[in-house]
Amino acid sequence: MTATPVPAMVELQGVAKRYGEVNALHRVDLSIAKGEFVTLLGPSGSGKTTLLNLIAGMITPSSGRIVIDGRDATTLPTNRRGLGMVFQNYALMPHMTVFENIAFPLEVRRLSKAEIKRKVGEALELIQLGHVANRKPRELSGGQQQRISLARCIVYNPTLILMDEPLGALDKKLREQMQLEIKRLHAELGITMLYVTHDQDEALTMSDRIVLMNGGRIEQQGAPDTLYFRPETVFSAEFIGSSNLIPGTVEIDADGAYALKTALGRFAAPAPDMALAAGAPAVLLVRPENMALAAAPTAASVAGHIEDSILLGGVVRHFVRCANGSTLVIQELNQPGRSGAHRGDAVRAAWQPQHGRLLPPAPAG
Amino acid sequence: MLLLAPLTAVMLLILIYPLGLTLWTSLYNGRFSFDAYAELASSTLFLRVLRNTFEIAVGGTLVSLLFGYPVALHLAAQPPRKRTAYLIMVMLPFWTSILVKSFALVAVFGNQGLINQFLGFVSGGTVNLPMMFNRVGVILGMINFLLPFMILSILGSLLSLDRRLILAAETMGAGPLRIFWKITLPLSMPGVLAGVLINITLSIGMYITPALLGGRQDMMVANLVDFYTRQTLDWTAASATAMVLLILSGLLVAMLGKVRGAAGLAGAGA
Repeated sequence: MTATPVPAMVELQGVAKRYGEVNALHRVDLSIAKGEFVTLLGPSGSGKTTLLNLIAGMITPSSGRIVIDGRDATTLPTNRRGLGMVFQNYALMPHMTVFENIAFPLEVRRLSKAEIKRKVGEALELIQLGHVANRKPRELSGGQQQRISLARCIVYNPTLILMDEPLGALDKKLREQMQLEIKRLHAELGITMLYVTHDQDEALTMSDRIVLMNGGRIEQQGAPDTLYFRPETVFSAEFIGSSNLIPGTVEIDADGAYALKTALGRFAAPAPDMALAAGAPAVLLVRPENMALAAAPTAASVAGHIEDSILLGGVVRHFVRCANGSTLVIQELNQPGRSGAHRGDAVRAAWQPQHGRLLPPAPAG
Repeated sequence: MLLLAPLTAVMLLILIYPLGLTLWTSLYNGRFSFDAYAELASSTLFLRVLRNTFEIAVGGTLVSLLFGYPVALHLAAQPPRKRTAYLIMVMLPFWTSILVKSFALVAVFGNQGLINQFLGFVSGGTVNLPMMFNRVGVILGMINFLLPFMILSILGSLLSLDRRLILAAETMGAGPLRIFWKITLPLSMPGVLAGVLINITLSIGMYITPALLGGRQDMMVANLVDFYTRQTLDWTAASATAMVLLILSGLLVAMLGKVRGAAGLAGAGA
């Protein structure tokens, strides 16, 4: 991800933000390519909103440099950065009609009346809301308001659009619909987008690249697939998708094959991406969908009994209580005529050793 | 209901009874008639004073708005702790008797006052800018009392303005002037309107300030009531004048109740 052939739209070089003694953001280096859709994902307090506000110019960094579109913007005021921003609460002007709201950035740019009329019309067309041009924002639903605020953003072709949890106030169904709409607009217009969310599903659905933040640092970044299948830390594994984590110590055979010795048994595992010495503590990650119920022992399996089985529609989730008291989660596709597993049944949770992944243990605290 | 009884009794005794008595006096002078009102309507003095009252009330309110808005804007931009400290300064005039303040103003704006002496010192001659015992004096004295009401009601509107609207406008490239004219000002209009109505209502009944700081030409309706009561001893005319003033103020307060954001101040929302 470092050697992108496309020139960078945003370049953060050692950017940090301190509030008194509190480090809201440790030194961060981040580059966003032109036309890329990057998501800042993380729990609240992870520094993702601080990062966004730094790029928007609402706060100035304590150290480091911010370059936007090849121009040093570290101390440039917000209104001269040429950005677009979409807010969670829409931030539409309540005293203006939908038309006036979308026309506002064009008036700032001193376009002619005729041109403003044409561009606003086109923007409303793009979000399929041409019929509400003369209404006030409060007369519209939340989803419509957010589409208007999107239109207000794309109407002046900013080089970069920042989105601060734009779908956080919408219900689930509308959110999914809007995710696809934003994705479509990104594909059609090719505008660089930086999207902030704490919702992993949203990040996985929309992004070219996810930047996972934790405690004011970038924990890991990469394509959604990479983050899902190749997490580098326990935090990444737990934040994206659900995971079974089995702690133990690393063992390395004479021929270099890795295994983890745990309270539940010794499990072979692929060689880790990071350095893990023999005898070092480590964690084995197995995604629930890579585990299955088995009757007899396999290459990697753990005995236990079914504590609960829940139906989630397309998938079924089994919770298997192991001998040492820990619980493993198994996720299977739901099919007609699926053999039922019942509470209390003695079963084995089995997986293929190559689906396991060794990770360094989570830092204490 | 029982708990309200003492309060009701007090209100009846000190508010409703005198009010009723005033109304009665304005209508009954040996016999029952509207003569007092008819006389007022044709009295040059009354009409002149009524016009004065409106001119002074509107003028004072406009000056108060002109000075109050920037102060409110500045207060709204302060961090909460600083704002509290500044607000105390805004409220300071309330803790001083209006009589004391009026004399203090004479010391500053009078012929021998600070300003005229300073100007005289600077210019090397004698300066006698007439700022007291005329309309300027009345308005100066009034805004000292009116400003806090104007500032507080505008500040209320400004503080309820969503900060993110300003941020949104900034990201769209708008400069501070455009943001003020297109967003801050229109969205603070309820506060401005409330402040203006409160100020007019308060200043229409002004009595001490025009009496102490105004000239002979600056008599207001309340002073006229005093004139009829104590100088000519025409209590019927005094009562009728008082009733007209009451109705005018009542109308303004009713309008105030209709303005969003001012309901609490007008007592209608309580």
